[in-house]
Amino acid sequence: MKRPGPLFTLLAGVVLAGGIGIVNLVTGTGVAPVAGAASAAGAASTPSATSAAPAPPKTVAPSEAPKPTVPDPGVPARADYAGRVVGGGASVAVSVRDGHAIAYVCDGKKVEAWLQGATAGGKLDLKGDKNAGLTGSFDATAVTGTVTALGQTWQFTAPTAKKPAGLYRAAPKVKGKTGKVGWIVQPDGSQVGILTTDEDSTPAPVLDPAAGTATVDGAPVTAEPISGLAGSGDFR
Amino acid sequence: MSAPAGNRAAAALLVPLAVGAVVSVVLGVYGNLHTPTGVAVNVAGFSSAQSVKAWLATVVVVLALVQLVSALAMYGKLGGDAPAWVAPVHRWSGRLAFLVSIPVALHCLYALGFQSFDTRVLLHSLLGCFFYGVFVAKMLLLRKDGAPGWSLPVVGGLVFTALVGLWLSASLWFFTRSGLTF
Repeated sequence: MKRPGPLFTLLAGVVLAGGIGIVNLVTGTGVAPVAGAASAAGAASTPSATSAAPAPPKTVAPSEAPKPTVPDPGVPARADYAGRVVGGGASVAVSVRDGHAIAYVCDGKKVEAWLQGATAGGKLDLKGDKNAGLTGSFDATAVTGTVTALGQTWQFTAPTAKKPAGLYRAAPKVKGKTGKVGWIVQPDGSQVGILTTDEDSTPAPVLDPAAGTATVDGAPVTAEPISGLAGSGDFR
Repeated sequence: MSAPAGNRAAAALLVPLAVGAVVSVVLGVYGNLHTPTGVAVNVAGFSSAQSVKAWLATVVVVLALVQLVSALAMYGKLGGDAPAWVAPVHRWSGRLAFLVSIPVALHCLYALGFQSFDTRVLLHSLLGCFFYGVFVAKMLLLRKDGAPGWSLPVVGGLVFTALVGLWLSASLWFFTRSGLTF
């Protein structure tokens, strides 16, 4: 006596998975370039040439069985990443330099957080003000993890970023007081940023990434790139 | 008498368990090798793909509790014979739970992949692969008449345990960090 019910159940699951998979493929290639394969591949090919780690990507394909004592040859000592969170609601940038990392997450409107911390074996555990945090891991091609800012939590995968893409910071005077700006420039050239003053946070003025300048409150401001590769930025 | 019966029982178990193991391994290997896209299809009315997943998974866990109770009833553990409607409830709540879980799992697998950057994430990745393997094994086991009587409750229990582990390591974690947000 064969009961076909369980097989139909499994079949229905496979069909549903296939349908959603197709929707994912269609929308994934068309709408949201979130760490898209094209930009990831394009940006990932070059930075290891200038970084200190001569890491041949993916020589260790079966990377299970983590051995914490042996440094993974796929983990670069210096790297910069920029991408968007899952769902596209915010941008995230991570810069790594010799065991320290600086990250910035920003939705371009209100929510932002600067995060800092030490790295070990390609793992990130960064902290910021107001319970902001970022955990994840990075290798020669991308950083993957979870970031929390102002009570919102996002998952993300961000490919490596090559100048002018990456993370920028400035401290301009706004109405006589020092404000703080963070920008993330994506590999596709788009950017988001937030200008924070004592009073509130607003979308940042447009940064010219090539020149590294922006106009804030009517005055020109020079932005400092936070780059592990270039070695600029306040890595502690 | 007992030896051939034992062999038959073992043979009845072998195929479902082997197929289930293959499913688990394939999911894990795919999740590990496939480059996570980060792309997700959101559902209208929710603030993020993560909250969609957290709530869908919660629906699945509630249905799984129905599974547990109805299974106990069918095995007479709740006292007396189970009413006739318990078996259909068990079947259809299970089917619904499985189908609701698919979008969640697909997002995990397609957008995020198999990750191991902390204990919670590693545990969740392992449990996710294990869950679908053991679910497939259970579905196939349902069709085997010669399987030993203890096998179905054990495998079903594993399905339930894996699911609760998945929920704890993702949905509950999400709710504790972001609150009960939709």
